[in-house]
Amino acid sequence: MQTRELFSQFTPFAFGMFYLIAIAAMAAFVVGLARHILRYRRARPAGVPVDWWAGLRRMVDDVVTHRTLGRRDPYAGTAHRLIFFGFAILFVGTSTITLEYDIVEPLTGLTFWKGWFYLGFSLAMDIAGVMLVVGLVMMIARRAWFGLAKLDYVRRYRGDTAPLPRATAWKIEDWVFLVTLLLIALSGFLQEAVRLLIDRPPLSDLSPVGAALGRLLSGLGLDAEGAATVRGVNWWIHGILALSFVAGVAWTKGKHMVAAFGSLAVRDSRSVARLPEVAEDEPAGVTRMDDFSWRDLLHLDACTKCGRCHDVCPARNSNYPLSPRDLILDLRLLAQSGDGAADPHGVIAPETLWSCLSCGACAEICPVGIEQPVKIVKMRRALVDKGEMDPTLRGVLETVANVGNSFGEPARKRGAWTRELEFPVKDARKEPVEALWFVGDFASFDPRSQTISRLVARLFNAGSLDFGILFDGERTAGNDIRRVGEEGLFESLSAHNGAQMAQAKFDWIVTTDPHSLNTLRNEYGKAVQGRKVLHYTNVLADWLESGRLKVTRPLNKRVTYHDPCHLGRLNKEYDAPRRVLRAIGCELVEMPRSGDNSFCCGAGGGRIWTPDPPGVEKPSHSRMHEAAALGNIDIFVTCCPKDLTMFEDARKSSGHEADFLVADIAELVAEAVELRAIPANYLPELANRIAESLAEKVTARVVPELIQALTAQSGRVLAAAPAPVPAAEPEGATPKPVTLDAVPGEAGEWSVRTVTPAVLADYERPVKSGLRVLVAVKHVGKLGDEFRFRPDGLDVLPEDLDHQLNEFDETAIEAALQLVERLGEGEVVAVTIGPEAAEPSLRKALAKGAHRGVRVSPDAASPADPIAVAALLAGVALCEEADLVLTGVQSSDFANGATAAALGGILGWSHAAVVVEMQWDGKGRLDITRELEGGVRHGQSLSAPAVLSIQSGANVPRYATMRMIKDARSKPVAEAVVEELGPEATGRRVAAMDRPPVGQAAMLEGSAAEVAARIAAIVREKRGG
Amino acid sequence: MGGILVIAEHLRGTLGAQTGEAIGLARDLKARIGGPLVVTVIAGDPARYHADLALEGVDEVLGVAAAEHFDPAVYEEAAFALALELKPRLVLLGHSVNGMGFGPALAVRLGGSLVSDAFGIEADGGRLLALRGGYGNKVLTKLDISAACVTTVMLRGGSAKPPSAGTAPLRLVSLDLQSAAARTAEHKDYVDPPPADVDITKAEFILSVGRGIQDEKNIERFRALAERLGATFGCSRPIADSGWLPKAHQVGLSGKVASNCKLYLALGISGAVQHLHGMKHVETIVAVNTDRNAPIYNVATYGAAIDLFALADALEKEFN
Ligand SMILES: Cc1cc2nc3c(=O)[nH]c(=O)nc-3n(C[C@H](O)[C@H](O)[C@H](O)COP(=O)(O)OP(=O)(O)OC[C@H]3O[C@@H](n4cnc5c(N)ncnc54)[C@H](O)[C@@H]3O)c2cc1C
Repeated sequence: MQTRELFSQFTPFAFGMFYLIAIAAMAAFVVGLARHILRYRRARPAGVPVDWWAGLRRMVDDVVTHRTLGRRDPYAGTAHRLIFFGFAILFVGTSTITLEYDIVEPLTGLTFWKGWFYLGFSLAMDIAGVMLVVGLVMMIARRAWFGLAKLDYVRRYRGDTAPLPRATAWKIEDWVFLVTLLLIALSGFLQEAVRLLIDRPPLSDLSPVGAALGRLLSGLGLDAEGAATVRGVNWWIHGILALSFVAGVAWTKGKHMVAAFGSLAVRDSRSVARLPEVAEDEPAGVTRMDDFSWRDLLHLDACTKCGRCHDVCPARNSNYPLSPRDLILDLRLLAQSGDGAADPHGVIAPETLWSCLSCGACAEICPVGIEQPVKIVKMRRALVDKGEMDPTLRGVLETVANVGNSFGEPARKRGAWTRELEFPVKDARKEPVEALWFVGDFASFDPRSQTISRLVARLFNAGSLDFGILFDGERTAGNDIRRVGEEGLFESLSAHNGAQMAQAKFDWIVTTDPHSLNTLRNEYGKAVQGRKVLHYTNVLADWLESGRLKVTRPLNKRVTYHDPCHLGRLNKEYDAPRRVLRAIGCELVEMPRSGDNSFCCGAGGGRIWTPDPPGVEKPSHSRMHEAAALGNIDIFVTCCPKDLTMFEDARKSSGHEADFLVADIAELVAEAVELRAIPANYLPELANRIAESLAEKVTARVVPELIQALTAQSGRVLAAAPAPVPAAEPEGATPKPVTLDAVPGEAGEWSVRTVTPAVLADYERPVKSGLRVLVAVKHVGKLGDEFRFRPDGLDVLPEDLDHQLNEFDETAIEAALQLVERLGEGEVVAVTIGPEAAEPSLRKALAKGAHRGVRVSPDAASPADPIAVAALLAGVALCEEADLVLTGVQSSDFANGATAAALGGILGWSHAAVVVEMQWDGKGRLDITRELEGGVRHGQSLSAPAVLSIQSGANVPRYATMRMIKDARSKPVAEAVVEELGPEATGRRVAAMDRPPVGQAAMLEGSAAEVAARIAAIVREKRGG
Repeated sequence: MGGILVIAEHLRGTLGAQTGEAIGLARDLKARIGGPLVVTVIAGDPARYHADLALEGVDEVLGVAAAEHFDPAVYEEAAFALALELKPRLVLLGHSVNGMGFGPALAVRLGGSLVSDAFGIEADGGRLLALRGGYGNKVLTKLDISAACVTTVMLRGGSAKPPSAGTAPLRLVSLDLQSAAARTAEHKDYVDPPPADVDITKAEFILSVGRGIQDEKNIERFRALAERLGATFGCSRPIADSGWLPKAHQVGLSGKVASNCKLYLALGISGAVQHLHGMKHVETIVAVNTDRNAPIYNVATYGAAIDLFALADALEKEFN
């Protein structure tokens, strides 16, 4: 039976040598593999759990179909397919020989590598060899002649013009890899050719390539002797190359051949759409390599540097300093150094991390299933935890933490967009609804998006959908907050929204906002409880197709459609919007980058809250150019509130204003179904609403004027003159004023009633062991642009106030923290005089680092009375035996600017107001600098204990991450009960509260352009005149 | 007994502007309240301020010899001692940095009422009401100070006019201020703001931005806009506090007063008192703020409640 002899004409020494080398090579492979695995084992758990069964099936599917490789690059796909399958067959073939020769035959004496099996085997190996060679040559040609920028590893997006040294090494590695493989294949064929020349087996062993090569060689004059020499030498060349390759797999680029299988198998089917949580015992973010999960590390090793992610990344395309591939490669280098404690932030700059738009384009196209954005978010979490972020972003996070939305609007205004509707929108917390509409921030507050929200509401209404919203119960869903890396804030937002949803009865959720949709669908878990989360396009598509909404006026427009990243790529909703467009009679022209290859608008990943670095071309502009290049597009259609804002902006600023319109899909649908804005049957109610809002407006305008007029008429204003209108009583003509009838005190008895500290009941506090700094903080109320007065006219309606920690106090807290940090000892105690509702501000002070809190209920004192507040604070200062008390210069609500000096006066301590610098060793005198009028600085020194009011700008208050906020929940807050507060400390009361005298400004109305024209005229007149 | 005691303020040899204004308000109130109008000055050489304080309506100027530089403990102690002697109905001082430094401490020593940042006092029937702002000056608050036998009032700058010169005599009083010694603030130095290449005080046309511009990256855009319009670029305090612009650009109490300004464009500035201090006297003020209730509109000549970025877009086109 036909077969061939292995090791023909080998001396025992050569034979032994070969086995030695082979075993060494295998050992190198195994050791390399083990090193990687040990490294993975030191890392953290996977986070999102691995679904092994589905993962393996998907992996096999991806590998067999080569789907992930052929996508959007058929050439590379074909080449890799040839290499992969060629290699795989050769590998299996070689293993079969080993199986027989080294295992089956020695153990059982049986052989199978002979006869027809042998011949078939030979043919298969021949074909596989050809596949491998062709694939490799294609790849070599691609590298050598295609001029693919992604393959030269030059970081042009950072302004580099030459590759970094490590990139040069990568390039060499790539070439060595390809050429080695090619040489293995070619030397294999050569070996076969000379063997056939010498052995001349029947049918040439069914090895057509080897046979042809043999004929060629003998035609070229290779005789039997020459062939024998070649056979001897080439055998070793082939063998050693092949074994070196095996040895190198785990140590070189070759490791992707193993890691990619693992990476594909363990990849999260919803990666990027859902992010791993931070477990209780885990650090907030990644600051050491072994803070990454084993899945992350496996991903790093799977990277083949192919650059598909680099190509599609909207950040990289816009010259932000980020390439997902380079990030992965840099992390991999560090990971492979084996030092688990190495800090990845040492190799990845913060601006790189902040560049990511979380659009998922990289993970989508990655052929080996790497989840790049997940690594980025994990590292961002560490930055956020340390407060290292752009001040704007930080401001937004603080705003969201304070009021629950990124617009800084009071929660009660969240549902305000519904007021202009002709029908009431149900409060889903109060009555059951079929669909709960989760509106989201943009759709609730952005004026342009509000018009879309109303339109969608009208469409829902026209389709008789029973829907409701959560009104002020809804907060930002938290999708982008989570992607920014503020995990704690996300947790608190999702918990809040979850609790609100738990109060509501509904069957499914709908939203116009893909970002909200994403997190609700993929990250809210129990709160959504398996209910469907639909996009409004899902609903509209069904309705338009079923006739629940009837198209009465097909649009006949040529449109293009932008897939929102969070809707398309992350949630695979590509069809519904296209079905809608088809149903309303639009001709859809796809942009080159559409569907899963859609190009981010630039707003994702929290980037909408971060200023762009200089020199970037906005992704949204690039998108506008892409759409314009389609030619003759009428409308650029979006279905995401952020997209609408980004692209309307970009259309103008990128010079395509004349080329097409940007519109939300709802606007098109409304036109096509001829949605009448105000159905006739709602008219009576609408009339009511208009009348109501009119009445409100009239009251707001007229009443203060009336009061003003009445007061003025009664002629009692003596000096009520807010400048620049001085108390204009013409000299001499003044009617002689009557002396006051009210007699102060008890019939003229003038007496001094010095204010004394309040006496507080003892409360729990640690024994004083070192320096103790008190910081007085206030939960201040802020009025928005709409507010009303209480019926008694003594204050505004409490519900019109939004409360937060007085911003001046933040500077004071920071000053106290910096002092104890500098001294290396001491305790910072935050004190507030306020009701239980003031606790959030106290907790915020604790979150920033104050060690504990004390709250005194102000039952006995008006918060508008700084003396009462000071007397209560004095009580605390005495109980605490404080060494220093800091306050903000003033509170932003009543701006008395009096607490510090009043407190100093009551305590008889030294004090100073408007301090911008403070130096103290904790023992001697304090050196301070006060900022006077005109920015003049006044240096003084004071004895301790002292009270200082700290001016804004004295420092930059630190950011309290949600984790710090959480930790603050377990810090102690004592409630001090007032036992005695002297009558002299209280009693100052507000007599009346009004709108201020109506301003004198003549309001310029009209569009921005009209106002600008007016202002321009004023400027020109003033400048010229 | 009764009457009004005004406490003068001075810095480096010059009386504070608010002292004259406090005297102005006191003069207007004098007839209602009854009793004398006494002004006191606490200084190294009080006599040198006599002429400037002996304004119309003032009955007597009291000079208290003490250290020249402001020390809250000394001011509090001296004013307290004088109040015990004069038993005034009202004690008036400026709501200035120094005023904030000692006024409230004096008030707690005296008991009675305290009204800080007041901008007027009105009689309403039998009641005496002090006027001040509230909630970021979005509301007007009236505090009843009729019942207290003494009220300390800290007057907002620019709330009254200083009277013309008068003839009040100077009386030097010597007070024992020893009890303040333990709390005294030792004077070290004054440091003037560093020289800068912008001079708000000289500019005739200023474009100022406030926190409404939201983002440091927008600074350059508005700087360019100011340049295009031919305006000096100014800002509110938070902008300087955040380091977005050097302090020299800051308009207001702790910044610079736009004393020669004829046209002031305020973009995204709410109009806090301290900011108004630096610009409310300007002949033509154009304010742009999305909040129709923003106090800036109380001093502006023209207002526009529109988004300042939209306006900037349009203005950039106007001045192309
Ligand atoms: C002792 C002392 C001294 C001080 N000295 C000064 C000083 O010299 N100068 C000074 O300025 N401040 C000073 N301050 C600070 C002052 O109290 C205020 O905090 C500050 O003036 C507020 O600045 P702002 O108006 O820019 O910010 P905010 O009060 O936050 O106002 C921002 C405004 O922008 C509006 N806005 C927001 N977005 C937009 C938009 N898109 N379009 C249009 N409008 C928008 C908002 O409606 C808001 O009214 C001092 C404070 C103290 C206690």
